[in-house]
Amino acid sequence: MSDTTATLTQDRQKLEMSALSAPAVIFTVAMIAFPVVYTIWLGFQNFSSTGKQSFAGLANYSKLVSDYEFWHGLWVTIALYVLSLVLQLVFGVWLALVLFHAKRLPGIVRSLFISPFMMPPVVAGMMWLVILDPSLGAANYILQSFGLPPSDWLASPTWVIPTVALIDSWQWTPYVALIVLGGLQSLPPSVYEAAQIDGASPFKTFQRITLPLLLPTIVTAAILRSVDLLRFFDIIYITTQGGPGNASNTLNIYGFRVGFEFFNIGYASALMLTLTAIVFGAVLAFNRLRGAVAW
Amino acid sequence: MKARMFATHVALPVFAIAAMTAPSRAADFDWMKFKGKTITFLANNNPVSQALLTYKADFEKLTGMTLKVDGYQEQQMRQRLVTVMNANSDEVDVFMTLPSREGEQFAAAGWYGDLTGMAKNEVAKDYDPAGLSQALLKAATFNGKLTSMPMNIEGPIFYYRTDIFKKCGIEAPKTIKDVETAAGKIKSCDSAVTPFVSRGLKPAVAYTFSNMLHNIGGTYIANGKSSLCSAKGKEALDTYSRLLRDFGPPGVVNYSFQQISALYRSGRAAMAFESSNELRTVMEGGARLKDTGLLPFPAGDAGQVPTTIGWGMAVSSHSKQPDAAWYFVQWATSPEVQKKMALQGIAPPRPSVAKDPEYRKWIDEEPVRKEWQAALDVLATKGSSEVGYPIIANPESREFIGQAVQDLILKQKPIDQACADADKALDALIAQK
Repeated sequence: MSDTTATLTQDRQKLEMSALSAPAVIFTVAMIAFPVVYTIWLGFQNFSSTGKQSFAGLANYSKLVSDYEFWHGLWVTIALYVLSLVLQLVFGVWLALVLFHAKRLPGIVRSLFISPFMMPPVVAGMMWLVILDPSLGAANYILQSFGLPPSDWLASPTWVIPTVALIDSWQWTPYVALIVLGGLQSLPPSVYEAAQIDGASPFKTFQRITLPLLLPTIVTAAILRSVDLLRFFDIIYITTQGGPGNASNTLNIYGFRVGFEFFNIGYASALMLTLTAIVFGAVLAFNRLRGAVAW
Repeated sequence: MKARMFATHVALPVFAIAAMTAPSRAADFDWMKFKGKTITFLANNNPVSQALLTYKADFEKLTGMTLKVDGYQEQQMRQRLVTVMNANSDEVDVFMTLPSREGEQFAAAGWYGDLTGMAKNEVAKDYDPAGLSQALLKAATFNGKLTSMPMNIEGPIFYYRTDIFKKCGIEAPKTIKDVETAAGKIKSCDSAVTPFVSRGLKPAVAYTFSNMLHNIGGTYIANGKSSLCSAKGKEALDTYSRLLRDFGPPGVVNYSFQQISALYRSGRAAMAFESSNELRTVMEGGARLKDTGLLPFPAGDAGQVPTTIGWGMAVSSHSKQPDAAWYFVQWATSPEVQKKMALQGIAPPRPSVAKDPEYRKWIDEEPVRKEWQAALDVLATKGSSEVGYPIIANPESREFIGQAVQDLILKQKPIDQACADADKALDALIAQK
C-alpha cells in the first residue's frame, strides 16, 4: 500500500469517526450551551410578578448598580469565600501531612477523616443546625460545661458568617486534604534525601521543599473550592435562609429568592450571570497563578 | 373606584359562592366519565397531602383514572409550578396552593383554572359545596372566579403549659397584655423554661405577626399606603418583637415551626404561638398530652381576629383535561374524604365533618383535642386570611415584615426607622401592578 493510499484511508477513517461521534458531540454542546444562552436571553427580559414578559434591554444590569441587596450579597459572598478558602487550605494541608505520615491503620484513619465530604450538604446543614441551636444544641452545652458563655451561632448577625464558614470547612477540608495528599505522594524522594544529608530540620524541609513543591497542587485545590464557594447555597439555605436579617444573604441565595420566590426571573438571571462572571474571573486568576508556580 | 372595589372584593365573590351553592344540575353525574385518563397532581409533601394520598387507590378505583403524584417540599413545589406555568406546559393538571400567600399573584398571572362553573354543574350528589367553609371559599375567589377548593383549615394558635401556669399561680391569658405579664412571671418563677416562643425567621414571621397586628387593631394598608408606622402598626411590631426579645429563646430569629414545636415538645417552653397543624408533632411521644392548654391567640384592642388559612386544590389553566382534573379535586375535597383526613388530625374545612359522630369521638378522647377543635371553631368563624399584604407581591411583602421584626429583636434599628424602612419598601410593592 502506497503512502498516499494509507493517508487517504486514515483520513476517511477520521471522517467516519467524526461523523459517527457528531450527534453525541452536538447534543453535549447543545446541552451546555442552551441553558447559558437561555439565561443570557432571560437577563434582557423583564418579568412582572404575574409572569408577564417584556424586553428590558440592559435595565436588569443597570438595576444591579443601585441595588443595595446586590452589593451586600457580593460582600457576604466574598467574605464567606475568603474565610472558608483560607481555613480549608490551611487545615487541608495540615490534615494531608497528618494522613501522609499516619503509620497506624492508615486506611481507617483516612476513611474517618474524609467522611464529612461524602455527606450530602443538606444532611450536614441539618446536623449542624441541631448542634448549633442556641437552646437545645450540643455546642452551647459543651461551652457552658467548661464555664464559657453560650453563643447565638447562626442566629447572630456578627457570628453567622464565621459559623457558616466553619461548617463548610468541616465538610470540605478533607476534600482539600485528599488532593494535597495526592500531591505529597508524588513528590520526588531524592529531594528529601538531599535535604536530610544537608541536615535540614523538619520545619525547614516543609518550608523550603514541601510547600513550594506542593503549591501547584494547592492552587488546583483552591480553584476547585473557589467554584463551589462562590456559588455558596445549600448550607445557608438549610441553616439560615440568608438571615438573620440579611447577614448571610449570598448572591446565590439572593438570586434564588428573586427568581423563585418573587418570580422576577429576568433580574435573577442578570444576578446569576454576574455571579458566573465572578466565578470565571476567580478561576482565570488562579489558573494564571498555577502557571506561575508550576515546576 | 369604590363601587369597582366593592364589585371586585365583595359582590363578585359572594355571587360566585352563591352560584356555586345553587342546586346541582348534574343529576346524571358519573364518576367513571373519564375512565382511562391520567391526572398529574403537583403536591406539597406536607401532612395534608400525605393524609389525602393515603386514599389514592380509592380514587383510582372509583374513577378508573390514574393519579400521578409529583410531590415536593413546599418551596420546591412552587419552583416546579413556576417553571411549568411559565412554559405554558400542560404537565400539571392539579396543584396545591395557599390562596392567602400566592392567590392574588397566581390569579393575576392566569394560572388558576376557573372552578365556578364546574363546582356548580359537575358535582356528585353528596359533594355538598355549600358545606365547605365560606370564609375559605371567599379567600380563594379572585375577580369573581373560584380558583381552588379548600383541603383543610389552619391557623396559629396559642399553646401553653397548664402545669407551669399552675405552679406560678397564673391564669390562662385573655389578652395580649396578659401574655406579657405571664411571660414575666414565668421568667422569675421557672428560669429553666423559655417563657414565650413564636416565629422569628424572616419569611415565616408574617404568619403569626398578622394575628397580633389584627388583634391589636392594625391593618397592613391604609389609604393605599403601607401602615406599619401607624400607631397600631408600631404597637404590634413593638409588642411582637419585645415578647420574643425579652422572653423568647436565644436565636429566635432563626425559629420557624420546626424549632418551635421541638422546643415546646421537649418541655422547654411555657407558651408557644404556632400553627394548629403542629398539634400532632407537639404531642408526639405523649409528654405534652396532659399538660397543654390551647386557645386562639388572646385578644387585643380589636378583640380576637385569628389568622385562618387553608391549603387549596386548584386546576391548572394549562391543563388539557380540566374536567377530569376537577373530578380529582372534587373527590379530594368531598365530605367522605375530608372525614377520613380529619381522623388523621387534618382539621376539616367543613363544619359538618367537624360535627360528625366518629370525628367527635376522636376529639373527645383527649381534652387537648377538644381545646384544639374549640380554637379551630373560633378560627373558622372569626378568622382573617390576610397573612402579609393583600397584594400580588404578597410573598415579597412578608420579607419586609420579617425584616422589621428582626431589626427590632436584634436591636439593629429603633422602631421608627425599622417601620419607616419597611413602609418605604412595601409602598413600592403596593405600587407595582
